[in-house]
Amino acid sequence: MVLALLRRLAVLLVSALVASVLIFLIMSVLPGSPAQVALGTGATPDAVRALEQQMGLDRPLPTQYVEWIGGVLHGDFGLSYTSRQPIGPQLFDRLSVTLWLVLGGMVVALLLAVPFGVIAALRNGRPTGLVISALSQIGVAIPAFLAGMLLIALVAMRWNWLPPNGYVVPATDPVGFLRHMILPWLALGLVQGAVLTRYVRSSVLDQLGQDYLRTARAKGMTATAALRRHGLRNASIPVLTVLGVQLVTLMIGAVVIERVFVIPGVGSMLSDAVSNRDLITVQGIVLVLVVFALLVGFVVDVLYTVIDPRLRVQAR
Amino acid sequence: MNRHESSPPAATPRRRRLRFAAGALAAALVVTACGAGSSTQPASTAPATTATATTDGQATAGQASNGAGGGSVGSQPGAGASGSDGSAAPAPSGDPNATLNVGFVAAPASLDFTQDSGAAIPQALLYNVYETLVRMTPTGEIAPLLASKWTVSDDQKVYTFTLRDNAKFSNGAAFTAEDAVFSINRVKSDWAKTVAVAQGMSTVAKAEAVNPTTLRVTLTKPSQSWLFSMTTRIGAMFSRTGVAELATKAVGTGPYLVSANQPNVKLTLTRNPDYWGTKAGMQTVNFMYYKDPTAMNNAELSRAINVISSVQTPDQLDQFGDTAKYQIIEGTTTGEVLLSFNNSKAPLNNKNVRQAISYAIDRKGLLDTVWAGKGALIGSHAVPTDPWYTDLANTYPYDPAKAKELLGGKTYTLRLRVPNLPYATAAAPVIASQLQQVGITVKVDTLDFPADWLTQVFTNADYDMSIVNHVEPNDLATLWGNPEYYTRYDNPEVQKLLADGDAGTRDQMIADYRKATEILADDAAGVWLWAFPNLLVADVDVKGLAKNQVSESFDLTGVSVG
Amino acid sequence: MTSSNSPAGTPPDPTLDPTRDPARDPGPDEAPDRPRNSARGLLIVGGSIVGLVLLTGIVSFFWTPFDTGYTDLANAKAGPGTAGHLLGTDRLGRDIASSLMAGARTTLYVGLVAVGIAALIGTPLGILAAMLPPRWSQFVMRCTDVMLAFPALLLALMFAAIWGGGITTAMVAIGIASIPSFIRVVRSGALVVMTSDYVQAARVAGRSRWGIAVSHVLRNVAGLVIVQASVSYAIAILAEAGLSYLGFGAGLTTPSWGLMLQESQSTLRSDPLITVWPAVAIALAVLGFNLLGDGLRDRFDPRRQR
Repeated sequence: MVLALLRRLAVLLVSALVASVLIFLIMSVLPGSPAQVALGTGATPDAVRALEQQMGLDRPLPTQYVEWIGGVLHGDFGLSYTSRQPIGPQLFDRLSVTLWLVLGGMVVALLLAVPFGVIAALRNGRPTGLVISALSQIGVAIPAFLAGMLLIALVAMRWNWLPPNGYVVPATDPVGFLRHMILPWLALGLVQGAVLTRYVRSSVLDQLGQDYLRTARAKGMTATAALRRHGLRNASIPVLTVLGVQLVTLMIGAVVIERVFVIPGVGSMLSDAVSNRDLITVQGIVLVLVVFALLVGFVVDVLYTVIDPRLRVQAR
Repeated sequence: MNRHESSPPAATPRRRRLRFAAGALAAALVVTACGAGSSTQPASTAPATTATATTDGQATAGQASNGAGGGSVGSQPGAGASGSDGSAAPAPSGDPNATLNVGFVAAPASLDFTQDSGAAIPQALLYNVYETLVRMTPTGEIAPLLASKWTVSDDQKVYTFTLRDNAKFSNGAAFTAEDAVFSINRVKSDWAKTVAVAQGMSTVAKAEAVNPTTLRVTLTKPSQSWLFSMTTRIGAMFSRTGVAELATKAVGTGPYLVSANQPNVKLTLTRNPDYWGTKAGMQTVNFMYYKDPTAMNNAELSRAINVISSVQTPDQLDQFGDTAKYQIIEGTTTGEVLLSFNNSKAPLNNKNVRQAISYAIDRKGLLDTVWAGKGALIGSHAVPTDPWYTDLANTYPYDPAKAKELLGGKTYTLRLRVPNLPYATAAAPVIASQLQQVGITVKVDTLDFPADWLTQVFTNADYDMSIVNHVEPNDLATLWGNPEYYTRYDNPEVQKLLADGDAGTRDQMIADYRKATEILADDAAGVWLWAFPNLLVADVDVKGLAKNQVSESFDLTGVSVG
Repeated sequence: MTSSNSPAGTPPDPTLDPTRDPARDPGPDEAPDRPRNSARGLLIVGGSIVGLVLLTGIVSFFWTPFDTGYTDLANAKAGPGTAGHLLGTDRLGRDIASSLMAGARTTLYVGLVAVGIAALIGTPLGILAAMLPPRWSQFVMRCTDVMLAFPALLLALMFAAIWGGGITTAMVAIGIASIPSFIRVVRSGALVVMTSDYVQAARVAGRSRWGIAVSHVLRNVAGLVIVQASVSYAIAILAEAGLSYLGFGAGLTTPSWGLMLQESQSTLRSDPLITVWPAVAIALAVLGFNLLGDGLRDRFDPRRQR
């Protein structure tokens, strides 16, 4: 098992390395070098060269890459092309905001998906199950920003229950923080919850069809009891995978939600950097998000072996 | 850039020395109306100030801790006029510990307006953090700031400024004539070429420090606009020891200090405790940046911000109708929303085509739909508050039939490249639709502002048409006197008028400039869609916001809360 | 289906191959014992909606009630039925019904480019991965793992930073980001087919691996590709809307539902209907493609055919 873990860790590291090279290449080699982007398409080649020199972009690519990644490993992401502030501190500051947002959204999604998914499975084919399935289908079809717009229009502006946008640091004002985060959490969570509901439902249905549950039920246990006793753990395994992927999606989806709710997270930092053509900042943020995604994949794989008894047996 | 500016046309608040009893709002504000020499004592409990205004004369710099303000100078910088020193600052009344949050749509790229174009930087920093020798008052006059007075030689080429001896930079260094020389020379030597306003310093032959408080500037030729341009960002005074990291550290002499900067989110200014003049009216001012105007409206409605610096959805003003909570401030700006043409490029180098486009656009309908009818229809590059303004709005009335006739049955395809700012993205589809009616197909694309728009349109002139609000005051010569400007307008007659006007007397300048605007209108060098209004929404307890926006600064010096 | 006989080997459970973008992919909704006619119902409803979008988009090339982009200034923000505007007009006086129709055209374009790229590149790679020896196959899967770490929106933002926003840039990014889903789905489908008795027999009979791949696997996997295409289509529509909302999607005068939604934001309080129409259009189209995907999955998925 330890060996498997180490192997998986090695895969993670190699993947991260490959991803960082990919990001670096995409951002520096594709037509439109940072200097060209900064100067526009009509700039003279001389001007581009001069600026490249100034930005240190005239050196060989491997040198640039090593310098960049070397800095990143020390938390130094370089200076923003536009604000000329160091990117690192800002990035980590904003990452914490986004993590709050995403974790809250995830919790909302789970709170919705687990009960509704299980109910929909147990009531499969009956009206309750159908209604939940239909609602989740509709939830999946709504863009998250639209959900955000509607929540703001109704809950914040019409009923004045919660603030429409902004962010408060939890350490200074926990209540204000919660009040500001509820709507973004809902906007993220409702839509993702709809997706997740469908996975929970199908996963539970899958378990209900398994022989051991049939046996348990034959022995007189109710479906619910049998499920609680044996099935949920097994049903949670496939859901875990989805959860991992969803976490990543939420992280990226935060770009849109942060714009809707004016939250200074890493997503709005990314879209601002894209607008400003601040390529070095984009490069840094993308790297962090991609590594986050790889890390989530790793954790999910590790959790499998913990949760799934079959895998544990195999590993032994 | 600058002279285009599109960004949120900065609303300008009231300055420290108001020359007029500023309307209803000001009633509440304790203002020292000066000019006439009257002075009013702040009635509130604000820090005791003994600001005394005297007419044109000597300043009694207030003895009180918050000292001297500027005196009033009514004189135009005309022949031999001299500015006067003075003092008197209406000490902003209100809660000195107040925090003010102001919403804007365009965020500054960095803190360095010597290298980065765009209006958002001077909007936040000019007058608030950086000060100039002379400043623009809310009524559009030039008044003392770091120079307590100045004289102009008879040939109008030598300006002698008497500088304040008590001004200090935020890095601790005293402000002296050497710093002024340094700052003026630096515009020519170190400012980025892309910052077009830096041109304004080209008439300076030399600047010298006669003694620590006397600065002498010699021009190559007389210029009406030079002293004016000294009120803009190029007149900002930098410390000789404080320019190492301008992009992230602003070192100025102003009433506020930059205390935090979270790019694209929030820029925080706090009161400068060592300010040489009347201390700032608020402890903290946050410039909050909203990409989306609706989010900014919602923030105001939920009291997350106290002021919308420039309303970007004028059709939605109803929601601020509650006068117990909100004040709506409506005035003028110096901005002209211009449908600009690349005048040197076919087919827009053809006057008939330009005229056809002018006839094809229903500017009244456009303004009513796009900006809820707020603003004024104009017909050339001047706003009604310009001294050389004449009403040319009817030079090309809406007449699609005539437009088609001028096009002579030809059809064209033009690229309209607009910044992603609310007025431009709203106007562009309407323009495209109306031009389509007369046989001109318009391909619209949006460019991120400032980054993309500045490089592609403004710097490289890679466009046929664009839509930009040229907010800078007094920008006639910048736009139309320089064939290198992105409008690529090359008309020797206009250039001569503008140059002669600048070198002549005030009256001659007005006459020449007026003539120039008439030629521009007739030539259809662009389509002036509307004069951009100053439209602010603020909490009722915010005092001292200016009705009209006359400078490139969102001037906080007269603003207070409570 | 059972989880133990996972053909793919890697993930413990094929029901949810982790592969798809569950963020949006509505996922396997079918119970193992779901009646066949429910699948047919999904197919009919989803197919009708998709057909409607298709039809509207095609008709809009030839006819819309008003010229797309025509700004009827006298009737801006008009309610439904005013001055011949069936669904009313937006804040600039553009006819909403016409914009919706033309928006369907853009939606089709979005799908064709994004899904086309993903399917054309992902399908052969998926089959290849199934044919390769395990070691190499494993390598391909690791590569898709890395690609999966670049979700569509992220890739689109990267491209927008380099080339500027725009609908084509966005679609290419979404297409590239969808490739790994195709690789995975096709590969696992192909593996099932490869182990089937029929193919085993063919191999015993001496037919070459590649011959089998082309003649047999591709034919059997086609259904899976169509299912995945339908699901990816829904994702592409949502991604386009999100990018348009951020300002990196459709150009100002490109008729796009996402852009309509974004532009309607300022009038949401005063004229909510302007928001409702494009919102309904997007939701309906996404729903349609998802339902179609669900219905087709039941029909085509070889893993489900037993």
